[in-house]
Amino acid sequence: MFKSIDWSGYVFISFFTIPFLIFNILPIIFGAYVSFNEWGIFGEPDWIGVENYINVFKDKYAYLAFKNVILYALIIVPSVTILGFFAALFVNQGWPLSAMGRTIFFSPYAVAASVIGLIWVWLLDTQYGLINQYLNIIGIDNIPWITSYEWAFIGVSIASIWWDLGLAFILFLAGLQDIPTDLIEAAKIDGANKFQRLSKIIIPLMRPIINMVLTLQLIATLRIFSQILVMTYGGPAGGSSSPIFYIYSTAIERQLFGYSSAVSMTLFVFILILTLFMRFMLRARA
Amino acid sequence: MKVNNKLKKNIGRRNFIKGAGAIAVASPFLGFPNISLGKTHEVIHWSWLGASDAKVWKSCIADFNTAHDGKGVQIVMETFPQDQYDTKLLASAATGKAPDFGWQWTGSKAKWANNGVIVPMENLIKDAGLDLSDFSANSLDKCRYPQVDNQICSIPMDLMTLCPEVNTDHLAEAGLDPDSPPTDSASLIDWGVKMTKMSGGKVSRSGILQTGSAVQPNVTWGIVAHQMGFQRTSDDLKTACINPSDGIRAMEWVLDLFDKHKCSSRDVTDRYKAFRQGEGSIFWTGPWTLAGNADAGLNYRTYQFPNIGGKHINYFEAGSLEMYIQKDKGRYEETMKAIKWLSDNSFKWTTVGRGGSPRSSILNQSNYKTAGPDWNKRGAFIEQLENATIGEIPVLGGGDFTIYSGGNGMVKILDPVWIGQKKPEQAMEELQTLWQKHLDKG
Repeated sequence: MFKSIDWSGYVFISFFTIPFLIFNILPIIFGAYVSFNEWGIFGEPDWIGVENYINVFKDKYAYLAFKNVILYALIIVPSVTILGFFAALFVNQGWPLSAMGRTIFFSPYAVAASVIGLIWVWLLDTQYGLINQYLNIIGIDNIPWITSYEWAFIGVSIASIWWDLGLAFILFLAGLQDIPTDLIEAAKIDGANKFQRLSKIIIPLMRPIINMVLTLQLIATLRIFSQILVMTYGGPAGGSSSPIFYIYSTAIERQLFGYSSAVSMTLFVFILILTLFMRFMLRARA
Repeated sequence: MKVNNKLKKNIGRRNFIKGAGAIAVASPFLGFPNISLGKTHEVIHWSWLGASDAKVWKSCIADFNTAHDGKGVQIVMETFPQDQYDTKLLASAATGKAPDFGWQWTGSKAKWANNGVIVPMENLIKDAGLDLSDFSANSLDKCRYPQVDNQICSIPMDLMTLCPEVNTDHLAEAGLDPDSPPTDSASLIDWGVKMTKMSGGKVSRSGILQTGSAVQPNVTWGIVAHQMGFQRTSDDLKTACINPSDGIRAMEWVLDLFDKHKCSSRDVTDRYKAFRQGEGSIFWTGPWTLAGNADAGLNYRTYQFPNIGGKHINYFEAGSLEMYIQKDKGRYEETMKAIKWLSDNSFKWTTVGRGGSPRSSILNQSNYKTAGPDWNKRGAFIEQLENATIGEIPVLGGGDFTIYSGGNGMVKILDPVWIGQKKPEQAMEELQTLWQKHLDKG
């Protein structure tokens, strides 16, 4: 009457599940608890209810961080997706230098974000950076890429696009190489030009990969941190800050762990809503 | 004989080994002496020093270890990034694994004293025989916290203030007399403007090196505001923002450097690198830069900070060593002895390293002025200590009052002022609200 349970399956999955529960789920639960407290690590948490969440919604610097991350998403996500797609297309076509292109497009992704940030700090230096030197040649004045409130988040975005391109590129390349060649050949025979083959065959077949890249890139961008820490430290005046950076500065620098946990929980809900919305939009279009 | 034979039979090799093993396992519980040949007591020290002074401090620790080699005590030093130090320290203290002692800015950790993270040192100082009369009264006062009955909670190691370092090549180029430094606002601005270079209507070399946000404009404001009469708190630590109009005037003074006199640029990314590469002429900073400037081969002199506002006072900070709570209270004695040794032998630290010594016995040594960098580079930092009185505010939320900060609550309020996003009057209102909230907490 009673089925005997095969415990060996549970044993096998426990090697992942137990550490996952301990190191991923438990900290989230603890973070949620701390968000209702005032706590500075040493001593007991002091329960204050929803005061931290009220302060998050009144805090203009938290608002600025969330606003900035939306701007980052609007710049970085489409740029990485489009540039990654065309880089993959270039390599997939087997055109001259495509073999070198494979290395060039992917290699930044293999470098740590902090190293990327340090390199781009110098490249984007207002007076002596290479980027401004080249812009001067074509008659454009020095741009304060990382020292101006208006430009700082663009400077960080440029570094991020260069770094994130590698993953999108490799995913798109894999997708392109999966497209049956006889479909392309048949389209050529039927007289379709390059643009028609791209828009009517390649892009529709690549839609699942495009959706995946968009989703992954959105989540990655909403968590942007290392580049900001190294390049601008969130400044000037919070102009390049992000929620993760703000959480870091309130928690690690000011030991306001309760408040930073509340910002973290808010970010979690924010990412969830944004991701669900994006998935809904992409599914609707499909 | 029969007995001996019987003994020999019973105590075979196997039984002997079993018995020896049992005794070894039982020995801790039987109170047998722990034969740990030459065990050394390790005093754990955490440091966040990372500028060019860090290697000098490392050599001071090495000197201690050399002097105590074979005497059963050594210091083990670990280094952390400054922005992570406090959190790591608190986490370690919460788990009972705090280091024995570490670096701190004097007077900045009232909350830790209140919560018992740092250990009051009055009794330990007496027992270790550290001569407090050798220290300047001002330096010791800054180490006391009202939260623990005004007990001394750290030992000051070096006293620092901010002084303008001036590139002497730029001075010569501008035809300025290096022996007649600026003494007030007008003469300072004059020097700044004359040494500024412009390109395409923008500052390409800052006569007075600033950045558009973070530490530099905020500490400048702090010093100038206090010189003009502003106080962050009343003397009894009850009221925030005394003479706010002077604080507003000081904000306008800083803004004028960028917008009116055009001798400063907001577009400087790394102020230390910029000064060492000749992208700025006047840079007020602390004595921790001396070794790095020497490494860069820079030609410069240091002068006292001019009297810009009317009261010739300056920023004060002291690097000090504080002790952290331990499960084993027996560790405090050795730690205090180590700190005493480091303080007694801080001649190298306060000559080659940084800062002025808080101890008269060291200041009065005949070679104090000649050891370390040239006095024309180091002297102003020592000489201006007598009017360096703008220090930390010893309240629980004291971190938000610190004027030398890149990201505390004060900086978050003031940074938008420097980029023209907020009016000085609004910033002053916000400062008053923030600081009063902290003062009300105690």
